[in-house]
Amino acid sequence: MDELLNSQYVVYELAGEKYALKISDVYEIIKMQNITPIHNSKAFLEGIINLRGRIIPVANLHRKFGLPDYTSTKKTRIIVVKSRNEMIGIVVDKVNQVIRFSDIQPPPEMVAGIDGSYFEGVGITDEGVISILNIDKVLYE
Amino acid sequence: MASIFESPEMIGAFIAEVEEQLQMLENSIISLEQNGETEEHVHELFRIAHTLKGCSATMGFEKMKNLAHELENVLDSIRNGFLKISGPVTDVLFDCLDCLRMLKDDYVSDANNIKTDINPVINKLKAITASENKQEDNPDKAGNAEVEHSKSVIFALDTKQREQINHALEIGQNVLVCEISISEDSQMKSTRACLIMNFLNEWGTVVSMVPNVLEVPVDSDICNVAFLVITQMSAAALEHKARNDLMDVSDVKVFPYSVDTAEHVIKAYETETRDMDNASCAKTPGDEKKIVHTVRIDVDRLERMMELVGELVIEQIRIAQVANSLYNRYRSDETVDDLVVISNNISVLINELREKIIKTRMIPIQQLFSRFPRMVRDLSRSLNKEVNLVLEGEETEIDRTIMEEMSDPLIHLIRNAIDHGIEEPEVRRRLGKPEKGTLRITAFHHDSNVIITVEDDGAGIDIQKIKEAAVKKRLVTAQEADSMTEQQLINLIFHSGFSTSQTVSDISGRGVGLDIVKSHVEKLNGIIDVETCAGAGTRFIIKLPFTLAILKGLLVKIGDETYAIPMNNVIEIVRKTNNEIESVNGQAITVIRDKAIPLVWLHDYFGIPRGEEKRNVLVVLLGIAERHFGLVVDGLIGNQEIVVTNLGSYIGKVEGISGATILGDRSVACILDVAGILDMISKKRAAKIHNKQTEN
Repeated sequence: MDELLNSQYVVYELAGEKYALKISDVYEIIKMQNITPIHNSKAFLEGIINLRGRIIPVANLHRKFGLPDYTSTKKTRIIVVKSRNEMIGIVVDKVNQVIRFSDIQPPPEMVAGIDGSYFEGVGITDEGVISILNIDKVLYE
Repeated sequence: MASIFESPEMIGAFIAEVEEQLQMLENSIISLEQNGETEEHVHELFRIAHTLKGCSATMGFEKMKNLAHELENVLDSIRNGFLKISGPVTDVLFDCLDCLRMLKDDYVSDANNIKTDINPVINKLKAITASENKQEDNPDKAGNAEVEHSKSVIFALDTKQREQINHALEIGQNVLVCEISISEDSQMKSTRACLIMNFLNEWGTVVSMVPNVLEVPVDSDICNVAFLVITQMSAAALEHKARNDLMDVSDVKVFPYSVDTAEHVIKAYETETRDMDNASCAKTPGDEKKIVHTVRIDVDRLERMMELVGELVIEQIRIAQVANSLYNRYRSDETVDDLVVISNNISVLINELREKIIKTRMIPIQQLFSRFPRMVRDLSRSLNKEVNLVLEGEETEIDRTIMEEMSDPLIHLIRNAIDHGIEEPEVRRRLGKPEKGTLRITAFHHDSNVIITVEDDGAGIDIQKIKEAAVKKRLVTAQEADSMTEQQLINLIFHSGFSTSQTVSDISGRGVGLDIVKSHVEKLNGIIDVETCAGAGTRFIIKLPFTLAILKGLLVKIGDETYAIPMNNVIEIVRKTNNEIESVNGQAITVIRDKAIPLVWLHDYFGIPRGEEKRNVLVVLLGIAERHFGLVVDGLIGNQEIVVTNLGSYIGKVEGISGATILGDRSVACILDVAGILDMISKKRAAKIHNKQTEN
C-alpha cells in the first residue's frame, strides 16, 4: 500500500461518482471526439478514435458498471490509458484534478453497487472517499 | 576463428545461399531430364555442386560438403562425356537433391545434430561413377577426367566469380594469388599443373588460374602458373604448405589478391599464352547478365516502413486540407501559395515513396513457380500420366506475404489438375488428344490485381457427377440441386469435404478439397472463378490484390456511418428500383446481369436503422472467392487509397470487419471484411432457422 500511497492520482467522474486512476496508468487526456462505432464487438466498447494517426479503442465504463449512459458535454473527456501494452481510451464525464491520498483503505466487497474486485483500494481525502480503479481488471474482465 | 561462422547473420546467409543453389539445382536437373544433356546445363549443375561444396565447407558442414563433393565428381564425369544422362542417373541426382535438402533442414533446426544419413546417396553416386569407369576403355581419357576439375573457371573473372571473391572477403576469408613455378626437369608439366590445382582445391577453392592448366595442350611447356585461391589459410601458411607438399615445384609465391595484381597477372601470362586456344573465354551470352546489387532485408522492417508511409499519406492529406483552407482565407498571401505548392510536391514524393516501398515488398512469382516443375514431375510419374508443364509470366511481381499464402492453394490446384483433370495417356489417345497433357500456369497483372490461372486440358468437371455427389453428401437437397445454375453447381466443388474422386489416391482426396484453396484466397481478399468444359479441360482463375497493407477502397455510407470496402471485392455498382427486388424464402434477391444475386442490408446486422424506404436502392455487387452478393448502401462517397490498420488485440476479431482506416478528415472508418460478412449472414440465418424450429 506504501507504493500506492506515494503515487499521484487523476480524479474523474462517472455519473456523479468520483473515481481515480494512478497517474502512471494514464497516457493522456483528450477532449471528446467523434467515435466510430464497432458493431458486433464487446458490449461496452464504444468504438474507435484516431489519436494522432493511431487508431485506438474507446471503452464505455458507464455501460460496464451499469450506470446511466453519458451524454457528451463540453466537459466530457477521453482518458487514454496504457493497459497491457495497448492504448485504450475510456470516456469520463469530467476530469477533476490530480491528487495524492493521505490514506488508502483496501476495497470493500462492493463499491457503489460495483464489484469490489475492480478496485485497488479506496482513497481517503478531506472531501470524502474516492475509489481507485484497477484499469486492467476493468477492461479485461 | 570459428566464431564468425556461428553468427546468426552468417548462418542466415549460408542457408539462403544453399536454398537458392538447391532451387537452381532442381531446375537444372529437371531441364536436363526434359531437354537431354546440353553442355550449358551440365556446366551449370557442376557449378552449383561446386558452390555448395565451397560454402558448406566454409561453414564446417562436413556432411553437405562430402555429398556435394561426390555429386561434383559424378557431374564431372558427365561433363567429360564418360557418363550419359539416363533415367537412373537423373533419379540419383534427384535423390541427391532431396538428401541435400534434408541436410539443409537439419541444419536449420539444429546445426549440431544432423540426423540425415548421407551414405546411401553417396553409395549410389559412387556406384554410377564406378560403372562408368568399367565401361571406359580409354585409360588416358579416364585419367584426364580425374584431374579435370574446374574447367568452367577462368581467370578473367566474371560476375559470379567476383561476387564469390567479395563474399569470401566479407566473411573474413583470404583471397590469395599463388604463383607457382614448376621445375624445369618435371615431366608432363601440364599434368603437374593440374595436380597442383587439385591440391590447392583441397586447401581452399581455386577460383581462377592463368594459364588455364586444363586447356593447355598436354605436351606444352608451361613453367609458371598463377592460381587465385579462396582459403582460410594465411598467405604464409599456404606458401609453406605449397613448398612442402607439392612435388616438382621450384618456387612458390603467395600474396593477397587485389584488383591491380589480378590485372597485372592476366597481362603477364596472357602474352605467354596468347597462341593458346582461348575458346573457353567466350562465355555463353547468358552469363553476361546485368549486375543487380541486392540487399537482404528483414520483412518486419519493411512492414514498419510501410506503416510509416501509411501515416505519412494520412498526414499529407491533412496538410493539403489545411493548405486549401488557408488559401481560401488568405488568397493574396504569397506564403500561402508557397504552402500549396509545397504540399503538392510532398504529395507527389510520398506517392512515389509509397510505390517504391510496395515495389520493394514485391518479388517475382518465379520464386513460387520454380517449385512446380519438380512437383509436377513426381506427381505425373506416380500417377503414370504424362504432363507438359507450361509456366508463363514468371517475372510477374507480387507481394511476398501474398505469395507465401498462395503457395499451398496453387500446389493444391496443380495436384487437382493432374490427379482429377488430366487423363491417362491411354485414355487420351482414345479420345484423340495428344498423349501428353498440358498444365498451364500463368500469372499477370491486370489493373491493380494479380491474376493467376491454373489450366489443364484434361477431362473437365462433370456437372452431373457433382450434382450426384453433392446430393449424396447432403450438401444440398435433390430439389435444390435441380434448381441450381450450372455455375452454382460447379461452385459446389469449393464446399468443404467435397471431392469427386471415386478412389482416395495417395496424392489427393484425403478429405482435403478445394475448400482449402478457397479459404486461402478469401483470406487474401481474392476472388476465384472456375471455367470448365467437359472433355476439354478446366481453368481456375484467381484474382488477388497487389498488396494487403494499402488498398483501394470504396467508401460508402450505411446509415450515418462511413465504411470502406476493398475495391478488389467490388464487382460493380448498380441502382435498382424497389420493383426489381424480389423475395425468395424471405431472402431479398435481385437480378444483375442475368444472375440472381442475394441482397444484404448490413443495417440489420449492425443495428443501424434502415431509414425511410426509398424508391431506389444502391447495390454494391461484391464477390469473395466464388461467392457473390449485393450490399445495399445508403450512399457512395468515392474511392481512395486506404491504409489498413489492425483493430488491435483489445478489440480482437470482429465479425464482418477486417480493420480500420483513417480518412482525410481525421475520422476513422471501418473496413468491411466481405468474407466475414458472408459468414455472419449465413450464421445468423442458420440461427434464425434453428430458433423457428425450436419454437415449433
